[in-house]
Amino acid sequence: MATVQVKNLIKKFDQNIAINNTSLDIEDGMFMVFLGPSGCGKTTTLRCIAGLELPDSGQILIDGEDVTNLPPSARDIAMVFQQYAIYPHMTVGENLAFPLKAVRTPKEVIVQRVNEAAKKLHIEKLLGRKPGKLSGGEMQRVAIGRAIVRRPKVFLMDEPLSNLDAKLRTEMRAEIKRLQKDLNVTTIYVTHDQLEAMSMADRIAIMYGGSLQQNGTPSDVYDRPANLFVAGFIGSPAMNFIPCRISDDRTTLVFSESSRMTIQPAAKTRFANVPTGRDLILGVRPEDISLRKDHQAEYEESEVYVVEPLGAENIVDLRYVGSALKVRTLPTFSANIGEILYMRIDQSRSHLFDSESTLALTG
Amino acid sequence: MGQLAGKVGVGIKYTVLIIYLAAVVFPMFWVVYTSAKSTQEIYKNPFGLPRVITAPSTENAHILVENYKRAWIGSHFSQYFVNSLKVVSISLVLILLFGSMASYAIARFEFFGKQFLYLLFLAGLLIPMQLILIPLFFQFSDMGEWLTKAFAPLGNLITGGRGLWVVSLHDSHAGLIIIYVAASLPFTVFTLTAFFRTLPNELREAAMIDGAGEYRIFFQVMMPLGKPGLVTVAIFNFLGLWNEYLFGLVFLNSDSVKTLPLGLASISMQAQYKSDFGLMFAGLVIAMLPTLLVYMILQEKLTKGITVGAIKG
Repeated sequence: MATVQVKNLIKKFDQNIAINNTSLDIEDGMFMVFLGPSGCGKTTTLRCIAGLELPDSGQILIDGEDVTNLPPSARDIAMVFQQYAIYPHMTVGENLAFPLKAVRTPKEVIVQRVNEAAKKLHIEKLLGRKPGKLSGGEMQRVAIGRAIVRRPKVFLMDEPLSNLDAKLRTEMRAEIKRLQKDLNVTTIYVTHDQLEAMSMADRIAIMYGGSLQQNGTPSDVYDRPANLFVAGFIGSPAMNFIPCRISDDRTTLVFSESSRMTIQPAAKTRFANVPTGRDLILGVRPEDISLRKDHQAEYEESEVYVVEPLGAENIVDLRYVGSALKVRTLPTFSANIGEILYMRIDQSRSHLFDSESTLALTG
Repeated sequence: MGQLAGKVGVGIKYTVLIIYLAAVVFPMFWVVYTSAKSTQEIYKNPFGLPRVITAPSTENAHILVENYKRAWIGSHFSQYFVNSLKVVSISLVLILLFGSMASYAIARFEFFGKQFLYLLFLAGLLIPMQLILIPLFFQFSDMGEWLTKAFAPLGNLITGGRGLWVVSLHDSHAGLIIIYVAASLPFTVFTLTAFFRTLPNELREAAMIDGAGEYRIFFQVMMPLGKPGLVTVAIFNFLGLWNEYLFGLVFLNSDSVKTLPLGLASISMQAQYKSDFGLMFAGLVIAMLPTLLVYMILQEKLTKGITVGAIKG
């Protein structure tokens, strides 16, 4: 149980900046997810916290103690690697016992802790087996077992589920989340999968290009994205973006000379502080667009480009004022390619971003 | 037509292989079965099978037993064998220990002069051992004297002042072992560095996070993982050292410290005056046996190990 603080962290590889002045506070017992595309600096940040990389500047504090220059073994952390990193020449039992032996734990305690961890992860029967004979899911459990057996202050997990198949990944996701809540250990989890992040995290730190883009709860980053990158990265299908401006009299959204959309009364206060006459981008989640077959007030005409039935829902791709829009509908909603439909954007849940700075202008 | 040509091709291939096999295996068999013959028998019919096979009798079997007995006891082969075993096994342990530690450091750590150190080891591969034989001889003489002086106080302390503690690198196994270890390190470091580079770094990092120090990481994680590489260099070095003659000849003089190749040579030198070929062949078989055993037991690992480090695993 511990807090983790990252202060003004900078890490360069040659002249490439991997982490650009990042600061983060992770509370005791929190499940924090670092999320971002490859090369965004999330794994490097994790490795700096682990002590596997030495930062060029900045500080890392665990429980208030500066550990920036301490070796990994002195930080009281445990890590689960993407490739599991299970010692192939040791049995599962020996793998689990290794971290305890390394810190010279008495034998009886080792046996007891190994059995406890094995029971928790349902791998009691595998203790005598060599890793070469295990499935991917079993190896993952062993890797997690080796992390929990020492009862460290902080768990670090580097894309631990990325090598598993989709079904197993969903299962393990729930198990890891439950385990973390049971053990109540501060956990930092790195992933590029936004679904994994949303479903597991207490807080998500979204990174891009070595910089922290937003740090918030899953609903924060989904409902109140700080910038265009976060808005586009979180959510599947991704948020729809339409370039626009606000008219000087603040009554309409102007997409082009010929196409405009009246600002709905419910959105007036939301858009009140957005400057007029600037290039903006309207961001709309696929579930915030409703479709009708017949025309009604506030509904705009659009053409169906394609329909993707997903079983639990349908995704309808529309063409509207030169932009492609994805709309989430009930599975019972049917439409044909080329059909004209009428759609309404729920502006009270939409976002406006500054086209130049990419920052969100709506709260 | 094509099928026939194919069959002829396969036939030629197998014929060539069988001839090659015979050329390699026959001399070995010849040595083994000739060791059961008396010198007279060898003169009379050098390539024929021994009488103990063609006409089995206690008397003929006695020739075989007698040859080995004379070699093992009479010609001190038991002594040479033990000497060889001692020199080669101690050398191998040291080569593997130092070689693997040096290779691991070069393969896995970043430090100043790392590349230079690696090149220095590689340079060792380029030096013909014959070239450094004489300088080494003199250097070892001086070093022995120097060490004797340096260790004199310690020697006095241990022996209670009863005498000088003589450190000799001449005519001693210690000297030969030092040379063997030094001469084998370049090849060992070259092979093992390539091998350690192929081992996943994540395992080392995992062990670091698990709280293991560098020694535990090396001996409990990296060394066991490096086993295929270690076995390969162990076999190659064993084969080289077991048959090593030149350094043994120059550095060992007394009969009591001689190794097997030197023992064999001394029989053949005696044979100039009294040709005892039966004895010589028995000696050869004794010298050959460990090599054959190593080949037979570790054959699979040897062929696997030849490609060690060639491709990234």
